[in-house]
Amino acid sequence: MQANQNRAWLGVLPVVLIVAFSGVIPLMTVVNFSVQDVLDVNTRFFVGFDWYREILRDQRLLDALGRQLLFSATVLAIEIPLGIAVARAMPREPKGRGWGAAALLVLLALPLLVPWNVVGTIWQVYARPDIGLLGHGINALGIHYNFSQVSSHAWITLILMDVWHWPSLIALLAFSGLTSIPNQHYQAAELDGASRWQVFRFVEMPRLRSVLIIGVLLRLMDSLMIYTEPFVLTGGGPGTSTTLLSQYLATMAVGQFDVGPAAAFSVLYFLLILLLCWLFYTAVVKRDLEQDFARQGERAAHE
Amino acid sequence: MAKVALENLGFRYPGASSDTLVDLSLSITDGAAHALLGGSGTGKTTLLNLFSGLLTPTSGAVLFDGVDVSRVRGRERQVAQVFQFPVLYEGLSVLENLAFPLRTRGWKPDAARQRARQVAKRLDIEALASSQASSLSLFEKQLLAIGKALVRPDLALVLLDEPLTAVEPRVKWQLRTLLREVQKEEGTTMLYVTHDQTEALTFADQVSLMQNGRLIQTGTPAELHDLPDHEYVGHFIGSPGMNLVPVEVRDNRLICAGVDVGDCEQANGTNYRIGFRDSWATLSVQEDPTGLPASVQSVRLLGTQLGEPQGHCRLRLGSTEIHLLTTTQVEPGQAVQVAIPRYLLFQDGKRVATYAG
Repeated sequence: MQANQNRAWLGVLPVVLIVAFSGVIPLMTVVNFSVQDVLDVNTRFFVGFDWYREILRDQRLLDALGRQLLFSATVLAIEIPLGIAVARAMPREPKGRGWGAAALLVLLALPLLVPWNVVGTIWQVYARPDIGLLGHGINALGIHYNFSQVSSHAWITLILMDVWHWPSLIALLAFSGLTSIPNQHYQAAELDGASRWQVFRFVEMPRLRSVLIIGVLLRLMDSLMIYTEPFVLTGGGPGTSTTLLSQYLATMAVGQFDVGPAAAFSVLYFLLILLLCWLFYTAVVKRDLEQDFARQGERAAHE
Repeated sequence: MAKVALENLGFRYPGASSDTLVDLSLSITDGAAHALLGGSGTGKTTLLNLFSGLLTPTSGAVLFDGVDVSRVRGRERQVAQVFQFPVLYEGLSVLENLAFPLRTRGWKPDAARQRARQVAKRLDIEALASSQASSLSLFEKQLLAIGKALVRPDLALVLLDEPLTAVEPRVKWQLRTLLREVQKEEGTTMLYVTHDQTEALTFADQVSLMQNGRLIQTGTPAELHDLPDHEYVGHFIGSPGMNLVPVEVRDNRLICAGVDVGDCEQANGTNYRIGFRDSWATLSVQEDPTGLPASVQSVRLLGTQLGEPQGHCRLRLGSTEIHLLTTTQVEPGQAVQVAIPRYLLFQDGKRVATYAG
């Protein structure tokens, strides 16, 4: 009996192996590099946390971190409300559904299907002041615009590109949330005399909450990791004005082959994303749990 | 509260090929509990939506206290509705839910809260006042939904769309009784829609029966039970439904299964049926030339009536099956005589005469 039970653990082995090779071992090599100074293939020294200390004093990295946080905060602040607004504007009534809504859904999903480097290329061309429709158009209106020379223009273009790319995700998630709301809830709100804002606030938002948590988490992680599109669009420039974390990391690891600092950076980068997502998740979910407990306590007190 | 009426109301959904509701006229007295009974697909919910203003009639009018409100939007109509499943603002507390319809109509927070507390107290959910609506049990949620519908003192009409469907049977009765008590106290005009005749007959002062988008009879529960205008009503109301047996009128005599049952003033014909409740007819095992010959199919003992065991009997009479309540001991397969001293006469499905004793 006992032996049988122990043998069952072998069933877990494939999963352990897959996780080990896909996640744990690569991560550990990075950790391994981060505590060594590799001079060449045969020469290496153990340096402890030296790289971490150096990295944290690296002004360029701190600047990139600042830009990264600004970028993520900005695109989230635009994309989440925009996605919800788009989802709300879509026809939901079964009668209005027809091919109109289906076509809309496909159109909405389109940006999500474009490969990321193509997104960068599209915008790179689109925003060029000499031949790009957008860039040339803006200049033709008499407004000076050149994203490869002016930092603020590069930033605006970067954010525009992300806002072109991602609100669809939020919109699709929110739309699926909205369609799950039974019509009676709207009817009841109508008879209660609720305003449009109140319908949104008290009928729709509570139902959108769980899909939006997922949506915000996905967008938060993705925006923190963004690499391809800005790399293609601006290459981090002009100067380093649009160099975000991942790009700085790539420069360090691939461009300069500083394996040790790059590995230390990677570990910190990973922990940062983990930390931010964890903070967001606990802030949201823990509050719900606490409310649940409070309610249960209240009920127990009444009974 | 208000007197509510329908005047030749008709409704057809846009693009539909036939009318969903046909020429409905109805009058509900101020402060009455009225039930709308009918099978599924008879247009009950459509009618509710016309009352609440979510739909606009194609013809005819909806009147509140004599005023045509057919074109008035739902939010301006002084109507509240309770749905099959509890529809609440899940993110708000019980008290906030109750106060919501008042706050949207410009009540001051204090006044709204006071009224909300009053309603919560009446429905005995005061202890839950500060709990989140989403944390309530299904029963409490539906109770809260009812409270939310009753909270506005200026309402003309409260609509209930099968409000007990979601509630477990154990507390259905409790909720219905509470609803009825509050309805009486507050003098609320209520329209209760259901497909469950027990609910309708025990809840309402007046019941309207719907079939295929038409109102076929409105009356007190007793009228609907004992004096159905149509065979359908007799068949639908009561458990089991009214017995219906084909008869023939021949020279002012009513002939049933070859036996002369009595006088009849109707014109000759075979398109007649007599209807009687299972308690109106009697059964005897002796030879009786005036009785109708029938054979016992099955007997189910119900209990005792005045010390005698009472059974529910399924009989075959001619080509039809009938149900009887009897204290006579019979067995399946036995030949018996049935006497029907009280019955209704239907011609082509419509009641044309009533015979009692």
